[in-house]
Amino acid sequence: MRNDAPSRVELLQGTLDLLILRTLLAGPAHGHAIAKHIQRTSEDLLQVETGSLYPALHRLEAKGWIAASWELSSKGKRARFYRLTTAGRRQLAAEQSKWDAFARAMALILNPADQEAP
Amino acid sequence: MRRWLGRLRNAVRPGRLGRDLERELRFHVAERIEELRDAGMSAEDAARVARRQFGNYTAQVERTRDMDIAEGLDATLRNVRLSLRALAKSPGFSMTVVLTLALGIGANSAVFSAINAVLLRPLPFPNSDRIVSVAQMQAKTPQPHIAPARLEDWNRMNHTFQAISGYYTQDDSELSGDLPEKLTHALVAPRFLEVWGIAPQIGRDFSPEEEHYGGPNAVLISDRYWRRRFGASPDAIGNTLRLGQTSYTVIGVMPASMAFVQRNVDLWSVSAPDFPYARSRDLTWFLGVGRLKAGVTPAQARADLATVQAALARQYPKPDAEIRAGIEPLKERTVGGVRESLWVVFGSVTLLLLIACTNIAALLLSRAASRQHEIAVRFSLGASRASVAAQLVTEVFLLALAGAGVGLGLAAAAARVFQVLAKDLPRVEEIGLDWRIVAYSLICAVAATLACGLVPAIAGTRRSLAGSLASAGRSQVSGRRPAQFVLVGVQVALAVTLLAGAGLLLRSFQALGRVAGGFDADHVLTFRISASWGETGDLKRSGQTVKRILEAVAAVPGVESSAATFLLPGVPGTFPVELSVAEGRAESEPKIVAESRIGSAGLFATMRIPLLAGEMCPQESNTPGMMVNRLFANAYFGGAGAIGKHLGQPSSPYFPTAVVRGIVGDARERGLDHEPVPAIYYCGLIMQPGLYFLARTHGNPMALGESVRRKLHEIEPGRSVYEISPLTAHLSDAFAENRLRTVLLTFFALTAIALASVGLYGTLSYLVNVRQREVGLRLALGALRAQIVRQFLAQGMRVSLAGCAAGLGLAGAFTKVLAGMLFGVSPWDAITMTGVIALVMAVSIAASLLPAARAARVEPMQVLREE
Repeated sequence: MRNDAPSRVELLQGTLDLLILRTLLAGPAHGHAIAKHIQRTSEDLLQVETGSLYPALHRLEAKGWIAASWELSSKGKRARFYRLTTAGRRQLAAEQSKWDAFARAMALILNPADQEAP
Repeated sequence: MRRWLGRLRNAVRPGRLGRDLERELRFHVAERIEELRDAGMSAEDAARVARRQFGNYTAQVERTRDMDIAEGLDATLRNVRLSLRALAKSPGFSMTVVLTLALGIGANSAVFSAINAVLLRPLPFPNSDRIVSVAQMQAKTPQPHIAPARLEDWNRMNHTFQAISGYYTQDDSELSGDLPEKLTHALVAPRFLEVWGIAPQIGRDFSPEEEHYGGPNAVLISDRYWRRRFGASPDAIGNTLRLGQTSYTVIGVMPASMAFVQRNVDLWSVSAPDFPYARSRDLTWFLGVGRLKAGVTPAQARADLATVQAALARQYPKPDAEIRAGIEPLKERTVGGVRESLWVVFGSVTLLLLIACTNIAALLLSRAASRQHEIAVRFSLGASRASVAAQLVTEVFLLALAGAGVGLGLAAAAARVFQVLAKDLPRVEEIGLDWRIVAYSLICAVAATLACGLVPAIAGTRRSLAGSLASAGRSQVSGRRPAQFVLVGVQVALAVTLLAGAGLLLRSFQALGRVAGGFDADHVLTFRISASWGETGDLKRSGQTVKRILEAVAAVPGVESSAATFLLPGVPGTFPVELSVAEGRAESEPKIVAESRIGSAGLFATMRIPLLAGEMCPQESNTPGMMVNRLFANAYFGGAGAIGKHLGQPSSPYFPTAVVRGIVGDARERGLDHEPVPAIYYCGLIMQPGLYFLARTHGNPMALGESVRRKLHEIEPGRSVYEISPLTAHLSDAFAENRLRTVLLTFFALTAIALASVGLYGTLSYLVNVRQREVGLRLALGALRAQIVRQFLAQGMRVSLAGCAAGLGLAGAFTKVLAGMLFGVSPWDAITMTGVIALVMAVSIAASLLPAARAARVEPMQVLREE
């Protein structure tokens, strides 16, 4: 399966946290739904390893940026739902602006306006 | 905050967290399966694929779990679980260590609880550091009693005290019951409760009318008397008590804390300052107590009272010019005497704990050596040295904790032991467990852990253990283990120190017992009879009362003779007086100073003190007479010249000039541990509180106690007879503190030598085990069994000798501390030291012989075949 899809992009460290927070901005979701959402929205470029997803979710919960509770899923089964907290919202805003600045810097360097060789 | 608690909880109850995580991850897998099935896969294929994609289930659970747990606590708990398992695997070893530590820590806690109650804790009164004892000091007599008029002046004229008051006690018989009941009655100056800062627990303090002469007679009763007589009922207030001729109304009950300073007092009433006799400035009777104002130091108070007394001296030159005021914090006065004893005992018990820890450290070193294989495996699996060492220390800590727990039980029992062995220790009722003792036990446990466990843990986890994995089970050829033998040597040294101290105290005690007192203390019954100060007003009548009582006692069948005295002979007490000679004395002659005693005529016959010259005081006489002892006669009058002289006390109104009638033998009046001194005995007693009556009996003195009591009840029904005991009991009680010290130190010393010998035995045993192969080889190569035994024995002896030598040095310092408590032995007594060394060497030989014999019984072929 891995070889079929277009080459997956390796997730940079620390970006998983940002992706999870952003996903939860839309509303509470359980772990599987978060992974699915990330995969779908990135057009299959990013696939989250379950081995990193759940440690990340619990780490974010320990830091207080997301909160968890056991709820009934849409299909009626009990699942652990995560949602964004106020602190998490602030963290998301901060991380996102940092990422935007980083991406802009990368873009400027990789695609300079004039083709000057360094 | 809630999250932190959650993390702690997850560490302590990992099961719940694990289940939650499993459920969460299972849900994820189930959703994936659903997805795949929706996409068209079969159920089994979907399951397989989903699982494979999911990856290593267990690893995931673990990794996720680690996010949710307080890491440090988890590691600690794991350590504890592992340690408990390891300890349970060797129950014998664990038990030994726990019991040893229990003994060491328990003894320590017990002694500390005594020190806490007696020396450290403040008296149970508000701001008790402000309570001081106030005394009147004059050059002529050492009595601290204050005249009531002076007390009132001091209270009125000072600027540093909140209040000054005083008290004195006498015996009274309470007559409202069937039999007269002897009560201790304290008479107090006004403001008494104010000095202590307390109020009656029920009822009220004395009113101003009751504090005047001729006012209503009111009494406050003690908590103990209230419970005993009135069953702690509030109806006690308003009850009437009959003490002798006077009736008193109970107006209140003192709080229980009063018992700590006035242990035996049953009731308090007021001694009015305007009582006619109280106006004299010469008659002294109050023991003074005062409460300083806030922020005033005793030094300031002393200066203030000095000024006050100086003003009084100007106003009343006689006698106030000779008098000064003395102040001492009350707690110091109460406990100062026993401070040294208690610290000596504390030092000994700490040495004992040190020995116990040394023992355990040696045991642990042995054990760490035998666990090298296990430790090496753990290192190879990736454990850090710190974590392995931490686990070893945790094991020791758990043992220490268990030991401290058992030790606290011992300490609680010891409180009872103190109360039996040392009844007269000040504040002994206050000894008990409180949080401070528990905290102290914990500190001891931690200290013990560090002392015993740290070095073996560090030594046992040396990294260079790769070798031991390869050579699993191969024993060492040369058993050079200096560390353990040094430890045994230290134990022996400490044991020698304790034994030396105990030996010296024991010999002191023995010497005391063999001292010739100058009198015969066997077959003498002593008892007291209640009396009041009021009857001393009629001298003739009270004198006749004494005579009547003595005659009645002498008439009881089985009694040879009877006597009365103020101070029992041989019991420590000193009343020095200065005497002047009516016949005149040259200026160049030294002042005449002697111990003074008062006794009835039959005293010398009853005590079997021989009459050396002159005659005994006659039964009836107009001139007061006295007897002197030989030392006195020889020192001041060259022998028989003393007889016929008239001696008086220029400074005391109580003692008239008396004529010397005869010379008697020397007795150790000041106490059996003092040499005899010049002494005088006034003849003739009047009935007053505090007298001792003596009766020499044919047989066992106690057998006649009841007969004496009944006879006295016939002739004096209004008085009660109490404190009936043989004289020998008084003499041994006088050294109760001494006895306590001796008993405790002996017990510690014996425990110490037992521990040291067990340590020696254990170390040698281990050595023999480790060197079995070497011994087998040597036997096979032709060595004699006797040679093997000699070798191991010599090793044990070398260690003991080294320990003894070091111990002698330590003992020299220790016994110097004890020097003040010895009697009849010098701190460097050769007999004691030789005896101690002999004992230690004998025990060492025994302890070394067993393993050495075991070594020699090794079968060479068997050992060589084992590999």
